[in-house]
Amino acid sequence: MPKFQPKKNKKNNPVQTVFTRYMLIIALFILWIGAIGARLVYLQINQSDWLREKAQSQRRDIKKSKQLRGTIFDRSERALAMSVTVKSLYADPGEIQDIDATAKEVAKITKQKPKDVLAALKTAKENNRRFVWLARKLDDETFDKVNEQLKTDELKKYDLPKFAGLHWEDEQQRSYPYKTLAAHVIGFANKEDVGSAGIEQSQEEFLHGVITKQWQDRDRLGRVYEEEEVEREPSKDVVLTISSSIQYKAEQALADGVKRSGAKSGMAIVLEPHTGEILAMANYPTFDPNNFTQFAPENFKNKAVQDMYSPGSVYKLIAYGGALQEDMIRADAQIDCSRGFIEVGGRKFNDPHAKGTMTYSHALAVSSNFAAIKTAVGLGKDRFYGYSRNFGFGQPTGIELPAESSGYLRTPAKWNGDSIGSLAIGYELNVTLLQAASAYATVANGGLRVKPHVIKAIREQEGGTISETQIEKTQVVRPEVAKELRSMLQEVVQKGTAKRAQLNGYTSAGKTGTAWKYDPALKIYNPAKYVSSFVGFAPADNPSVVIAVVMDEPRNGGRDGGQVSAPVFKEIAEGILPELNTVPDANIKQEILTADSEVPTETEIAPDGVLPHLDSEAKTSTKKVAKAETIEKEEKELTPKKETKKDEKPPSDKNKNKTAVILDGEKRNKSSGDKRKEKT
Amino acid sequence: MSRKTIARKPIKREKIRREKDPIPWRYCLTTLACGLCLVAGFFGAARQHFSSMDYGFKNSELRKQVEELETEKRQLLLSKEIALSPGEIKKSAKQFGMVELSASNIEIFSTAEEKKEKSAKQLVERTVESKPVKENLAAKISEKKDSERIGKDGKSSKDSETKIAKSSKTAK
Repeated sequence: MPKFQPKKNKKNNPVQTVFTRYMLIIALFILWIGAIGARLVYLQINQSDWLREKAQSQRRDIKKSKQLRGTIFDRSERALAMSVTVKSLYADPGEIQDIDATAKEVAKITKQKPKDVLAALKTAKENNRRFVWLARKLDDETFDKVNEQLKTDELKKYDLPKFAGLHWEDEQQRSYPYKTLAAHVIGFANKEDVGSAGIEQSQEEFLHGVITKQWQDRDRLGRVYEEEEVEREPSKDVVLTISSSIQYKAEQALADGVKRSGAKSGMAIVLEPHTGEILAMANYPTFDPNNFTQFAPENFKNKAVQDMYSPGSVYKLIAYGGALQEDMIRADAQIDCSRGFIEVGGRKFNDPHAKGTMTYSHALAVSSNFAAIKTAVGLGKDRFYGYSRNFGFGQPTGIELPAESSGYLRTPAKWNGDSIGSLAIGYELNVTLLQAASAYATVANGGLRVKPHVIKAIREQEGGTISETQIEKTQVVRPEVAKELRSMLQEVVQKGTAKRAQLNGYTSAGKTGTAWKYDPALKIYNPAKYVSSFVGFAPADNPSVVIAVVMDEPRNGGRDGGQVSAPVFKEIAEGILPELNTVPDANIKQEILTADSEVPTETEIAPDGVLPHLDSEAKTSTKKVAKAETIEKEEKELTPKKETKKDEKPPSDKNKNKTAVILDGEKRNKSSGDKRKEKT
Repeated sequence: MSRKTIARKPIKREKIRREKDPIPWRYCLTTLACGLCLVAGFFGAARQHFSSMDYGFKNSELRKQVEELETEKRQLLLSKEIALSPGEIKKSAKQFGMVELSASNIEIFSTAEEKKEKSAKQLVERTVESKPVKENLAAKISEKKDSERIGKDGKSSKDSETKIAKSSKTAK
């Protein structure tokens, strides 16, 4: 009874029953929730990594895309090289059921051979490859065509094209909108978007598009609902000092000059002397970086910084500059050149321009070898070498272009007895055109040498500047000396060998140079081949630009620098000076008449005893040269004759009977040639 | 405590009905409310999830559009640069009959006052240099008459006379 009573009570108490039941349900619910919670805790803590990976693998794509390569701008913010995104079509053969039909369709739209497409797809499927390119770097029109025509309505696919197994991939294409303009400076990027020449190569570190890592979460239809960039380092833009307009004018003038003179090649540099900024750097023949594969690799070489040549009389500046700096000479002082030759280290250097007594200024104007050698000898080996180095020869200028040559200048310890004579007139050394331009820019800039540079700034694509080129300056000669040199060089243009460099409306100054070309195959200076140059600046008193022009192996008409390179200088200078807002400082004429007879031609290229002596190989090499000359003659006979003026006789005519000589500084005890004399 | 109270009033059991007891209803309501809250929470979360998904889709679409527009912009920039290349400009300029800048046609920078002075001077010079129109015409007429006397063709001379007369009228 006592036990029954409470039971009865309990049963009879409905509230209690409801409460108990309710609590039971709650307890079950809590247990259920607790179990779920415990399971969740277990999954979240112990198995979270595995689960996360599994979930992500189902919904997440990791997209790696190469960022667009940086843009190269000129000084006026004109894009000289830029990359654009293009589409490429690829296939996943595993997703394609009817390979034959797909190959046919794709080939039809992309204008390919169906056989090729089919073969590519079949091979990939046989090898279980899930990626095969079908068409790369397509234009917009073809892209739209593929999307419109390759469409399967039943297919549940979010991305274009809505065709099983076909996908688009973004690629980039490098474009050079100005085509051949400044091609040697800009260079080009290869198919893998890696810089292979010029600024593209030297600034690869900044320009290259970094691969961006990005994840995308997709739903079951493949629609992206969440994405985030994991890694990103944007490429940088490079701003050059080149002016596209000046570059264009320089290239036009150079191309005309090369064609006119029948030269093998030509190069020109336009330099701002006060800042060292290169406004133009032209080479001819040139190439189009958009289709660089269609051009010969020789054309890719930026000869203005990579090639060396004997400067000839252009180098006389060093002897005069050094002597003026050391107060050894004055521009208006007299020098007796009546002997007509000078002997240095047992070698006789002839001077056809030695016409009595003349001022140093006039001696430079007529390009007297005697005066230059005498001045250099007076200066001495060490000081001459020192000034050569100070003017920037024998060392790279440090320009931001790849494979810059340092030139060739031996130390005085390695010189021979007569080396100073050869060096004074620009032999026994090699320089680059940029070094020559930089040396003359020093004179134009009051004796202050400024490091030439072609990059103005490197900046981020958003606009922030990363680095700006700092100007490096070195005082080489006093400003008074530079001024005196400028007036001497002005006389070269007014009365000397460079009358063709006279400008309409502006004064100009400069020096011509003509040198025999060294033949590396024959190991001799070949008297039939010349390098004709002119380096000058304008206006003469307050120069705005320095222009250096070199013509390699000119063939038509006069071949010296005054006849071949000076007109190119004139054309460039007259074209660009008004653009640089340079106020004319001379009379403006309709036409400057310079009769050929008025312009003295340079003959410093062929003075006897100028070049190093012949060694035992001389005879054979001379024969080779003679043979080469006869071939040239035959070629000339075959080609239609051109009218040549009497005074335009090529200097080579005078040298035909003379021997070619070997450039071997160490072996120069023997001599050959009738006119050479050795002095013990 | 409750047992005692119930035990004390056994007669009143009839009156206390289970249906009328507020305690179970309270529990039910509480449970329902909790359940509703939970369900509402689930719905809210689901709604947020789907709306975030939707925003994600829209965001992705917009990103895609931005990329496409960027690509288009670059392509347009490229086309612009091609059109602005010096070679193209030179061609177009020549078509318009423009002359290349040289020392002979350069305009030296001068202040506005200098320009005014220049233009004023030029005007004066022109008036000084120019001759009266009447005199010129008279001289021309006399020259023509002389030539007509020498020439044989009468018609042409008459025509020229009339032309000169007309031009003198217009000059007046």
